[in-house]
Amino acid sequence: MLLPCPWCGPRNASEFRYVGEQTVRPDPATADPAEWRSYLYMESNPAGWVAENWLHRAGCRRYFAAERHTVTNQVRATRPPDAEAAPAQHADAAAAGRAGEHVREGRP
Amino acid sequence: MTAVSARTGMTLRLEPQPGEVIDRNRPLEFTWNGQRFPAYHGDTIVSALAACGERIFSRSFKYHRPRGLLSASFLDPGCTVQVGDEPNVRGAHRRVEPGMVVSAQNVWPSLRYDVKSVNQVVGRFLTAGFYYKTFIKPQRLWPAYERVLRRFSSGGVVAKDSAHGYYDKRYAHPDVVVAGGGPAGMAAAVAAAEAGAAVLLVEEEYELGGHLRWGDAGQLEALRELRAAVAAAPGVEVMTNSVVNGRYDGNWLGIVQRNLPHVVERLVKARAKTLVVAPGLIERPYVFEGNDLPGVMLSTGVRRLVNLHAVKPGQRAVVLSANPEGDAAIDDLARAGVEVAKVVDGRRGPTIQRATGSRGVQAVECADGTVVDCDLLVTAVGWTAPTALLNMAGDRPVYSERAARFLPSLLPDDVLVAGGIAGDGPLEQLTEHARAVGREAAGRAAETARSLCAGIPQIAERRAGPPDPEPAVALPELPVEDHPALFFSGTRGFVDFSEDVTAKDLIAAAEEGYDSIELVKRYTTVTMGPSQGKLETVNAVAVLAAATGRTIAETGTTVWRPPYAPITLGALAGRIFEPVRHSPMQPWHEAAGATPLVAGAWIRPDSYGDPAGEVRAVRSGVGIIDVTPLGKFDLRGPDVPELLNQLYVNKWSRLDVGSVRYGVMCAEDGVVLDDGVTGRLAEDRYILTATSSGAATVQEWIESWLQTERPDWRIHVTPVTTAYASINVAGPRSRELLGRLVEDVDLANEAFPYMRVRVGRIAGVDGCFMWRIGFTGELSYELHVPASHGLRVWEALLERGADLGVRPFGVEAQRILRLEKGHFIVGQDTDGLTQAYGAGLGWAVKLDKPDFAGRTELVWQSRRDDYFRLVGLQPVDGSVVPPEASQIVLGRGIAGRITSSRMSPTLGRSICLGFVAPSLTGPGTQVTVRLPDGGEVAATVMPQHAHFDPEGTRQRG
Amino acid sequence: MGERAPREAALVARSPIAPAPPATVEQGWEISARRSVARLRLTDATPLAKVLVRAAADGPVARGLEIRFGRAARDADGVLVVGSGPGEWLLLAPPGTAPEIARRVTARADGEFASTFDVTHGRALMRLSGAPASDALAKVCAIDLSDGVTPDGAAVRTSVAKLVTDLVRDDRGGEPSYLLHCERSSGQYLFDALLDAGDEFGVDVDGFVFPGV
Repeated sequence: MLLPCPWCGPRNASEFRYVGEQTVRPDPATADPAEWRSYLYMESNPAGWVAENWLHRAGCRRYFAAERHTVTNQVRATRPPDAEAAPAQHADAAAAGRAGEHVREGRP
Repeated sequence: MTAVSARTGMTLRLEPQPGEVIDRNRPLEFTWNGQRFPAYHGDTIVSALAACGERIFSRSFKYHRPRGLLSASFLDPGCTVQVGDEPNVRGAHRRVEPGMVVSAQNVWPSLRYDVKSVNQVVGRFLTAGFYYKTFIKPQRLWPAYERVLRRFSSGGVVAKDSAHGYYDKRYAHPDVVVAGGGPAGMAAAVAAAEAGAAVLLVEEEYELGGHLRWGDAGQLEALRELRAAVAAAPGVEVMTNSVVNGRYDGNWLGIVQRNLPHVVERLVKARAKTLVVAPGLIERPYVFEGNDLPGVMLSTGVRRLVNLHAVKPGQRAVVLSANPEGDAAIDDLARAGVEVAKVVDGRRGPTIQRATGSRGVQAVECADGTVVDCDLLVTAVGWTAPTALLNMAGDRPVYSERAARFLPSLLPDDVLVAGGIAGDGPLEQLTEHARAVGREAAGRAAETARSLCAGIPQIAERRAGPPDPEPAVALPELPVEDHPALFFSGTRGFVDFSEDVTAKDLIAAAEEGYDSIELVKRYTTVTMGPSQGKLETVNAVAVLAAATGRTIAETGTTVWRPPYAPITLGALAGRIFEPVRHSPMQPWHEAAGATPLVAGAWIRPDSYGDPAGEVRAVRSGVGIIDVTPLGKFDLRGPDVPELLNQLYVNKWSRLDVGSVRYGVMCAEDGVVLDDGVTGRLAEDRYILTATSSGAATVQEWIESWLQTERPDWRIHVTPVTTAYASINVAGPRSRELLGRLVEDVDLANEAFPYMRVRVGRIAGVDGCFMWRIGFTGELSYELHVPASHGLRVWEALLERGADLGVRPFGVEAQRILRLEKGHFIVGQDTDGLTQAYGAGLGWAVKLDKPDFAGRTELVWQSRRDDYFRLVGLQPVDGSVVPPEASQIVLGRGIAGRITSSRMSPTLGRSICLGFVAPSLTGPGTQVTVRLPDGGEVAATVMPQHAHFDPEGTRQRG
Repeated sequence: MGERAPREAALVARSPIAPAPPATVEQGWEISARRSVARLRLTDATPLAKVLVRAAADGPVARGLEIRFGRAARDADGVLVVGSGPGEWLLLAPPGTAPEIARRVTARADGEFASTFDVTHGRALMRLSGAPASDALAKVCAIDLSDGVTPDGAAVRTSVAKLVTDLVRDDRGGEPSYLLHCERSSGQYLFDALLDAGDEFGVDVDGFVFPGV
């Protein structure tokens, strides 16, 4: 799989470390145990598009956010963690990480 | 040992054939089962043997039936032989070399008189699934079963003293990879190259050409033209005797290349922008009783043998032909002087019933009742599309009733098909289609290249803007012609020759309830042999469909996964490089004969031969240890105290210049992550240390906070673990020793107390810093020297301290020393569930800090007391050293475990750290330790972790 | 007890890479004096001064250095400025000049929060030069080294022989040439991996020649 790092461009997935699904850190002062542990351990893990974080471990060593389809491994956008408004690398990055335009039914 | 003499032994060698690949000017000799045989350069092992009249080359897997030539190709299932010390060689593909030593596999005592053929007699008990039903009880006989079964298991022999072959790897970034070097593959490759693409053309055989090689004069001419075009096209790299073995996400391909002179096999990991799959079609065997007898051959096998190797396949033949290629085989047979006794036209109804004979075909019973004596039965009943690479790309091919084979259906944008796998038609139409595919592949590759570069910010800036999109050109359609659906006759025969699975086995499996093709595959092992279904799958599906009353389309196929062809462990392993890390003092440790310890990627000195002696030296005099792997981070910036407060459980708002503090880091779940000391060297410069095994994790942990949670903080964190060589000088005489090397720092206790850091010059080296901390429990200084001078300082310490009795000590001695002092090691005395209070770190946790990593969970833990605690333990019998991880038991339950355990030279008895249940933590409590051999010993819980000098007076002196 | 030694022996810095014989000492560094004219040459360039600069990607320091992430070029003083990461630069200069280089950079800081680190001893550095250099590197490095994707002056960080390594393409004499550097303790490993990969191309070790940039 190719992952399009926002700084370095498309690289083999082996250069990266998967950090986890994006979650919102509850306010540590007010969270109750169930809420906190859900943040720590639970992931929604859908068969579809997921917002997740990656670290370019063997490259620029930056953390970034990505949108990936868990069935086809298409990656349609990656952006730096603090760039809510900054333009994400959409079409070109997606082309680089493309495994197929269509979503296949059933097992790949 | 008799020799079959050259030339006169080749009783079945024909006159020179127009397309032959043998070189009659280069004869050679090789041995087969101890006998010498002649051959020509260009012969395969089996074609040379066949030329001399040999017909049996192996015994089958389960029933040990004699097997001969079937397809005379890479996939031929009956031709697997042992070459020297290399097992499982494809004898119908591998070319003979002078002096080759070839022998049959899986036979005992010999190919001719294989005792294991007794399996045929007991065959009715060896039906599919017998693995699951037999040799189960009684269990005590399993060792005996193993010994017998091992003798009967197939596969060649691996010699333990074989010389290692040279295998390596390479990365490649071709624009277009063409898998298959037949006419379609060659045409596509040339067209792609002419359109500007860098092309990799991969072909399984030793030369390009596919089925054209054994064709008529017109096909040979077309072959010459295509080969010339490939040679002339710039930008086409050709790999023969090579296979595209797997296709992964984003056209990541594993190609096993075997045509290099200096490498046995090279694994080429290619990121292809476009993949063109052009594997041609594989001829399908026919299922009938006796279809595995030597002498039953596919029409392509006969044509290869006659035209490529000039070998006469038999004397008298019956031909079952259902297509033009089968008809062409009849012409080749006639030309080779084979008497064609009967031709059965499979297009017109009844075919054949069975072939009979012992050790080879002797007669064929046709469906019309006639029985024909012959020694050769040629079948040409149809074709299989080898779609495995397409399946790996996500396609589920669709069955065409008309074509009687599976066709590609839904391909991703970066995979295209050409040749027989895509459709039918005359050669001109197929090559024209292939050229269009090649051009299209090049165009899509160029588009992908633009996207890839556009995704690299540094390049994208330099390019002018996106180019105009080219108008899409539709690929021409290929027709799909009628092919008769001939899979099996009225009798039952072999479906999988490699695994010895018959139609009877498949039907029995369906009757037992294994009625889906995936279940039948796993239960009977059909298609699980070396050809991975290329010869077997469609017949198996057809038999199962008939047995379950469904159509082939409804039954479907199994899923194909890499590898496409069998792959050696050598190719997968390559050059076996694993990063290794050395300290600057490593040459000294090696020369001193230190026992190496592999700690992650680091090589460290475990001891210099006498760990107990090293411990005594430190306690009584002075010792030095190389602790360079210790994780070290340089922190700069006004917000460093904020970071320290966030990461550590204790308080860091005020750390004076020149001071050092111990800190513990927890993760967000309150589990102890790492520990270490942090010192403030200057106003704006801190050094943070972490454990050597945790250094990488801590670096990522710090970066995640700075990049994702607190990007506004002004801090620069730089790892300097290997920029400094680190040496711990420990023992009552350490100050004395250090005084001889340090010039500009006052080492007196009042000037340089415990937990302080100083910057200075050591042995003439500037830019060093040193601090007084206590891991071993003795007066000690940890020196950090710019790494290029580390060895110099190490040697200077040993030289200047010789009269003080200075000794180097290793990791093992350090482990003992710290255990005597009760210092825990993160990851050894804590695990993935140990929260701070459990490790006895409550004293460090400052819950009144507003927020720090782990605080949430630690608040909750602080209100409970149900967690296991780390305590010091001493076995009642001081001579017993319980192995680490020994369980502590209470009644029939587990109440803890030993985490660290050593014999203490200082105390002369064994000492431990361990976890115990809350009810057992009281000092003086006796606990029971269960040893791995089942025995039990008693141990006493100590009042504190430290077994020696609990007040810590020695390190503060 | 124990007299101080009369005079400290002259400081000799050592690279993590064992020098190919004959070894010699020059300007305070132990180096290899070997000379090679092979088609493919590998040189231990660890003695070079290496200064790491951290600053904002678009502040006064960045503007003074003039090099963006992913590129490398020599400045007016002949120092090779490498844009090695977002907000991170590595400056390569003749041995012994690190303090001066660092001073020049911080002089331009103009109140910005910026840091310099002398990583001369913390990084192992080597140069692979010659016509087959790209082919040899492609055996152990997965990125596309073609001229279009990794041209002369490109700076990337990736995995080489499973080790995180910085790569700078710095062609010399019309032939491809690469500077590779990694954290110090793996320097010998990386050197050996490159020698192994270059073996089929006739790689040979070439000694370090001052000033080396």
